[in-house]
Amino acid sequence: MGTINVSKKYTAKERAYLPAILIGMKITMKRFIEGFFFRKHFTILYPEKKRDYSDRFRGAHFISVDENKTENCTACFLCETVCPAECIHIVADEREEETNIYGVKKEKKPLSFDIDLLRCCFCGFCEEACPKDAIKLSTNYEMATYSRDEAIVDLDQLKRPMNGRHEKKDN
Amino acid sequence: MSNNVHEIIKPKEDLNYSSEKKPIHSDSSVEAKPLPKVTIDGKTYEFKPGDTIMQVAERYKVHEEIPRFCYHPAMPIAGTCRMCTVEVEKAPKLMTSCSTPAADGMIVHTKSEKVLKSRTGVMDFLLTNHPLDCPVCDKAGECELQDYNFEYGPSHSNFKEEKRVYEDATTKKLSDQVTLNMNRCVHCERCVRFTDDVTKTNDLVMVNRGWHKELDVADERGLFNDYQGCLTDFCPVGALTWNDFRFKKRSWFLDKKASVCDRCSKGCNIEVHSDRDVVYRYIPVYNELVNGHWMCDEGRSSYNDLMDPQRIISPLLNHNNSMTSTSLETVIGEVKKVLKTAASIQVVVGTDATREEAALLKEKSTLAFGKPVTINFYNGHIQTSQEDKKLDHMLRMTDKTPNTRGVEETGLAPLPNGELSSEVAIIFRNGRAGIPKMNPHQKVILWGVWNIEEVKNLPTNNIIAVIPGLATIEKEGSFKNTDGVVQKFHPAIQHRGGAVTVHHVVGLMTNNN
Repeated sequence: MGTINVSKKYTAKERAYLPAILIGMKITMKRFIEGFFFRKHFTILYPEKKRDYSDRFRGAHFISVDENKTENCTACFLCETVCPAECIHIVADEREEETNIYGVKKEKKPLSFDIDLLRCCFCGFCEEACPKDAIKLSTNYEMATYSRDEAIVDLDQLKRPMNGRHEKKDN
Repeated sequence: MSNNVHEIIKPKEDLNYSSEKKPIHSDSSVEAKPLPKVTIDGKTYEFKPGDTIMQVAERYKVHEEIPRFCYHPAMPIAGTCRMCTVEVEKAPKLMTSCSTPAADGMIVHTKSEKVLKSRTGVMDFLLTNHPLDCPVCDKAGECELQDYNFEYGPSHSNFKEEKRVYEDATTKKLSDQVTLNMNRCVHCERCVRFTDDVTKTNDLVMVNRGWHKELDVADERGLFNDYQGCLTDFCPVGALTWNDFRFKKRSWFLDKKASVCDRCSKGCNIEVHSDRDVVYRYIPVYNELVNGHWMCDEGRSSYNDLMDPQRIISPLLNHNNSMTSTSLETVIGEVKKVLKTAASIQVVVGTDATREEAALLKEKSTLAFGKPVTINFYNGHIQTSQEDKKLDHMLRMTDKTPNTRGVEETGLAPLPNGELSSEVAIIFRNGRAGIPKMNPHQKVILWGVWNIEEVKNLPTNNIIAVIPGLATIEKEGSFKNTDGVVQKFHPAIQHRGGAVTVHHVVGLMTNNN
């Protein structure tokens, strides 16, 4: 295998290097003046201040609940089937006949509904597949945890009341 | 081994055999003539007189399938669903292929434009009242209505009115095993004909007419036949569902492997449906020699014994009068020590062992256990296979073990009086055969498929060890059923516990190191 020499000869202007430094300093001074005198900032003070994302942003999941705080999920396994990352794990069960006020509409319920957020690729297929509009992706992007186990969220952590298409913010 | 071994590798094709069962022309003069011919979709096929168009098409696999709801090969023909209509030349209207006998020179089109339009219409009508609950329906994925709608159905519904709802029959428990959701029913009446003509119990009827037609149980006993699971198999929609499987798993996640049911001496062919080596259900597979299309409920729910958390899947050793889980080598070492000092050894082979296991134990027992042993078989339900009787006109037998004839064939004798007599007894059984009688001081070594409850309830306190063994669907072997049919099967699932094959244990026992 031969070697290919890709180095090039510097021009006189490049070798002097002072013009390049001056160009750089010009940009630095421009940003300094904009920021210091005209208060124009390109960064935010992140944990205190948060950026607004588009409504289409796909962040952490939640499962919508109805007025009785019962999840809308009927454990149909369509999200588990469509999930390309295989991060959803559902165990289905029958709702107890005595306490079931919905009849045949919600006779099937998820006994457990776990999402492994570390495996999830946030493609949003689960949201598209859901026939009950139960699983949704919120705009919450803060999912850092201290351990891997905490990144597996269960049904109680997922259940949220809905406000239109979105998660209710005040809860 | 005999040369007529039927190997169960993949499920046999569900071939139609009703015309062979009930020939319309039984006189031999018909056979002498050249067979008549029918043309289906441009190709000419010979057929036996008496075949309907659907049966000819199925025999020669003209298409994958002519769609049908009410037709079932093992039941009388009803011709009510109109899904199987085909175009017959020179006939003024479309004919139902399930009920029209094929005639010599008939020209049939099964995929013409007229036929497809008719099928679309039939699907449109069937779907007017069918709820859109496929996501919660257990039949989804294996539903005939779903499949045919995908293939033939209309792109949209013309029905704008309210759908019919049976308020009282949305989730109606017909029995402990079967749940009815009448809203999903397409009124094919397969279930009613099954109870009328196959089980002959007449426990299901259709009440009311037209829009209000509803499936109901005939009397206050509810659904009581012993083949209720079959109703849920052939129901083309999710109207009848099997409670044991209800909401447990979606059908498309299941791995399907053929095996043999070990719940009785009939040896019904089954398909084991499992996901990640957890069995979710058994369904029967067509085998004309053994079970036809059916299977009893007892066999259908027998997988629960194998998936039971109480099943012992780790070698146990008696340590200070308590059973302790340990390694197989330790257990075998201790067993060897006990056997060396024993005055007499007895091996009892349950009749749920495969033919290979029984033959191996008979051949190697003396070698494996170090001294002459007496070896017998024990059934627990009957003495010998001569006592085996049918419990009804279909499949169920008194012998609840799968291989009594196969074990007898190896030359073993039944256990005298069903009682253990030697100082140390090795009981090998796979969960189906009975447990022999014993006195409270009998030393026993348990081997095979055992349940914690069974071990706890043993009359003796001198249990030396438990060696876990593989269950029928986890191992390879063959059974000889009550009719003398030898069926060879392969593992349907992989065992995930500590159970090992008989061959492995015998190998460890004979190994002197």
